Amino acid sequence: MTETSEINELTGVPSVKFAIAGTIAALLGLADSVYLTVHHFTAEPVPCSLITGCESVLTSPYAEIAGIPLAGFGAAAYFAAFSLAVLAAYGNRVAWMLFGLQAVGMAIFTLWLLYLQAFVLKAFCQFCLISAATTFALVIIFIISKLVARRS
Amino acid sequence: MKKQEPKSGGMPLVIIGGVAVIAVIAGIWLYSSSSSGSSGTANSLANANTATRAPVNAPPGAPIGVNMMGSPTATVTVEEFADYQCGSCAQAHPILKEIKSVYGSRIQFIYRHFPLQMHDKSYNAAIVNEAAGLQGATKYWQMQDQLYSNQHLWANDPNYRETWMGYAQKIGLDMEKFKADVNSMQARSRVDADLQRGQAMGVSSTPTIFINGRAVPYPQVNVQSLRQIIDAELQATAKPAEQNQNAATAPAANTASE
Repeated sequence: MTETSEINELTGVPSVKFAIAGTIAALLGLADSVYLTVHHFTAEPVPCSLITGCESVLTSPYAEIAGIPLAGFGAAAYFAAFSLAVLAAYGNRVAWMLFGLQAVGMAIFTLWLLYLQAFVLKAFCQFCLISAATTFALVIIFIISKLVARRS
Repeated sequence: MKKQEPKSGGMPLVIIGGVAVIAVIAGIWLYSSSSSGSSGTANSLANANTATRAPVNAPPGAPIGVNMMGSPTATVTVEEFADYQCGSCAQAHPILKEIKSVYGSRIQFIYRHFPLQMHDKSYNAAIVNEAAGLQGATKYWQMQDQLYSNQHLWANDPNYRETWMGYAQKIGLDMEKFKADVNSMQARSRVDADLQRGQAMGVSSTPTIFINGRAVPYPQVNVQSLRQIIDAELQATAKPAEQNQNAATAPAANTASE
């Protein structure tokens, strides 16, 4: 048992490397969401080089809730996840648990968005898929951190 | 074993605050560096679902003609604002074709152009549609079919104008007249008139469909929901007429029975 993992077991604080991985994934998601939020307000075409259908998704009525772009909510969520991961990296146990809860909530909402893209809009947006991958990365990082802590 | 002290202090808040500032600055920079950033949110979806009822003082749009199907005297009017480069509009196209086919002259269907600023080819596609319409209503709807059903082929094609010319030939347009009409003010002014009407009606996303002046929320843009709405409108508008008819025939019936 390493010194770090022993401390994890005692305190519930994740190894710093998991918290840092969480901050990096959250930062990627934040950058993606900020870009899409700005796109929403400038109404400029999004470069859709890998797949087609970006505009169908981003101009659909599902692209906003109560007049606020969905990407704006995403940016807020990623910023919150980033903040929690930073606090966890500095030893805040509660922050890491909240990070995990939030990541799971975001992943469930992401599954709904993927359903909309696949079955309602029948179009995919690569930036939305990047965001989905980032969200699932947050959950995976959290789960692995818990598994490692339990094993050690 | 050395116990790890929680590293608290102000550093986490400094990092979080720093990222917040960077995110805001990056957002502002992206917004101000975009070509349409200064023009505001003309095409945002903000008002899409709040435009439940169209203002009555909206400009009339392009004169109703080739862009109308059904009966001009029908009690139910379905007015669609759409963009040829919008994927959701291409998906709605067969739905509205079915609606037109099912209801025929019981409704008045009006197609309006609402090319979104974010789509680089949709304004020209609308002009092409209007230019085809200058050769008759059949050509108008045939060109619309071509543009929507082949949207995925021309939307990202740098030679899209040649592709459109191919559609014009395919539907049997007089090519010389069509080429002249594409560059004419007549086609352009019809598109602009529709656009102005849509903006005045609060349209900001496509497709936006009004049924008797009431905007249909996008999730209801399917055959079943549209039929329910139209049937309800047909019933609602038929009742007063039936009541008037009954009122007119009642004294006659009474007289006959006496």
